[in-house]
Amino acid sequence: MTGIRLEHLTKRFKNQVAVEDVSADIRNGEFVVILGASGSGKTTILRMIAGLEVQTSGHVYIGDMLVDDYEPRDRNIAMVFQTYALYPHLSVRKNIGFGLKVRHVERSEIDRRVTAVAELLGISETLDRRPSELSGGQRQRVALGRAIVRDPEAFLLDEPLSNLDAKIRSSARIELKRLHSQLGQTFVFVTHDQTEAMTLGDRLAVMNHGRLLQYDTPERVLSHPTNRFVASFVGSPEMDFLEGSVEPTGGSYTFISGPIQIPVRGVGRPGPVTIGLRPWDITVHQAAGAGSVPARVAGVERLGSSDQVFLEVGPPGAPGPGGLPAPPLTLRALVRSYDFEVGNMVSIGFDADRALYFTADGNRIESMSAPTRVG
Amino acid sequence: MKKQHSRRAIRILKRAASHAVLIVACLFALFPIYFMIVASFSTFPLGAISASILVPRPSQVTLTSYHAILLDQNPSFVAMLTNSLIFAGSAALIGLGLAAFTGFALSKFNFPGRRTFVYFILLISLFPSFVMILPFYLMFAKLGLIDTYIGLIIPYSAGAVVFSGILVKNYMDSIPDDIEEAALVDGLGRTEAFFRVLIPLCLPVLGLAAFLAFVGPYTDYAFAHVFIDTSNLWTLALGLYSINSPEGQGVQNYGLVCAFALVMSLPIVAFYMAFQRWIIGGLTMGAVRG
Repeated sequence: MTGIRLEHLTKRFKNQVAVEDVSADIRNGEFVVILGASGSGKTTILRMIAGLEVQTSGHVYIGDMLVDDYEPRDRNIAMVFQTYALYPHLSVRKNIGFGLKVRHVERSEIDRRVTAVAELLGISETLDRRPSELSGGQRQRVALGRAIVRDPEAFLLDEPLSNLDAKIRSSARIELKRLHSQLGQTFVFVTHDQTEAMTLGDRLAVMNHGRLLQYDTPERVLSHPTNRFVASFVGSPEMDFLEGSVEPTGGSYTFISGPIQIPVRGVGRPGPVTIGLRPWDITVHQAAGAGSVPARVAGVERLGSSDQVFLEVGPPGAPGPGGLPAPPLTLRALVRSYDFEVGNMVSIGFDADRALYFTADGNRIESMSAPTRVG
Repeated sequence: MKKQHSRRAIRILKRAASHAVLIVACLFALFPIYFMIVASFSTFPLGAISASILVPRPSQVTLTSYHAILLDQNPSFVAMLTNSLIFAGSAALIGLGLAAFTGFALSKFNFPGRRTFVYFILLISLFPSFVMILPFYLMFAKLGLIDTYIGLIIPYSAGAVVFSGILVKNYMDSIPDDIEEAALVDGLGRTEAFFRVLIPLCLPVLGLAAFLAFVGPYTDYAFAHVFIDTSNLWTLALGLYSINSPEGQGVQNYGLVCAFALVMSLPIVAFYMAFQRWIIGGLTMGAVRG
């Protein structure tokens, strides 16, 4: 059980940059989730840690050891592949014990450890079956078992839940988290699914186009995203963005975008900005109130515990090139179930304390947010 | 209702038609074998072939032909069989071993010129093998390899590598890289992963390749005829020709020829039976998500 350190890791495939100058410290026993869309370079990082891919430049340390020149087998890490990559010609028992067998562990010891791991994962009854006879969930456990049994320095998991049915996936998530606290080992988990990332990770590494954009706890990534990409990528439903400008009003500053006015709670500075608000920081009322903005409910998505409503603010814009009016500004808000129907005229308010401000090129202006802003 | 009936009738008709075609095709395929079996147990001179021999009477059944080919041959049938098995067996083993490595390299390694090399091999396999006979002969004559075991094993093995190499490559392409990588992470080097993970997964195609690499040389006449002079190196294919036409006068005794061909084909049948379970494979199923 050991930490992992990445130093200025870069990987180029021919002329394409897959990973660019990524540095990160993964602490001993930590569960780190690398989150990014496909092609963001997240799997490449995992493969470089495993030694399956050789970095173009930069260094990988496992524990205190520089492992750049180590073969995968000498790094003593375990990996769970997205496809599970079980050996189809071997039984579950032999699949799990394979890594021990090739390391010449004694047979009785292999038996003991395989049995223990199978028990831990609840797959004891499948030990003598072939992978082809197992369900997706069972295969995923066998792949995990193959990793656990070797007692490696760290676990690398490449989207291990993505091939599971939605139903099993949430229980697999809980199980994985339990397993992590039970084993107390370092986990590096790659996913494109932010629910997995938020629920599993002690820390998230958010990637886009090969760059590490933010590396922080899930709470901090959600409340203090470093830029607009992270803000929109993390959080569900997605964050609302409003283009507008900050203007001085009396002794303070106010963000203005059409009919919407939001007081700036931090250090104001006039000029164009984009404001970001989580859908749950927008309030919706049936009747028009003082200082609120009128809107029309254009769509409702029943999510079960709550509804996501799409709100059209203000009149349609000026006709565009096709002669059709530009669509009106649409915002998402999260409201109590069955409070609103399509076509309702409502008024909306904004929680100015929780607004995030971004520059035109997407960087966050931290100073404009409320100084006491939390969560 | 009516519509359903007519649809059902059409389906039955379709099935009957396809069965009829298959039965006719089977007859064409099986009749020669039947004829061979019947003829091998009877003796009849040239020109005496008639429909009556197709349904032999028990009194006509004789083992004369078998007696003749198994005991009265020079060189003996067993000697020729031994030679054939040495040639074909060595070619299958050597060719297969090299083909496995060739397939592995072409499928799982990235090196400059890989595609060109694959096309080159495919191009070679397009040439009929007998165009190689003359160059091989001249080369081997200089090396003193004519009329030796090695002299024939080399071209046979080379042929197997060309064909089976591509076969193995294509099969290995279908094995996900993840499986090999899982083995690397589990503690194997690439060579070990090849032997302990990829080879077991390739058994179906290796069985097929071995079978083909065996049957080719076993039944080859052209190369053997050119490269072998001494009768104690004769293969069964050469022996078959010699009883077929002792003085180059065409077939003299059908019973003899058929008995010879039948016994000669037994090792191939046995080989096929032994490898059948590998040839009809499908082991990679279930390796990855289902």
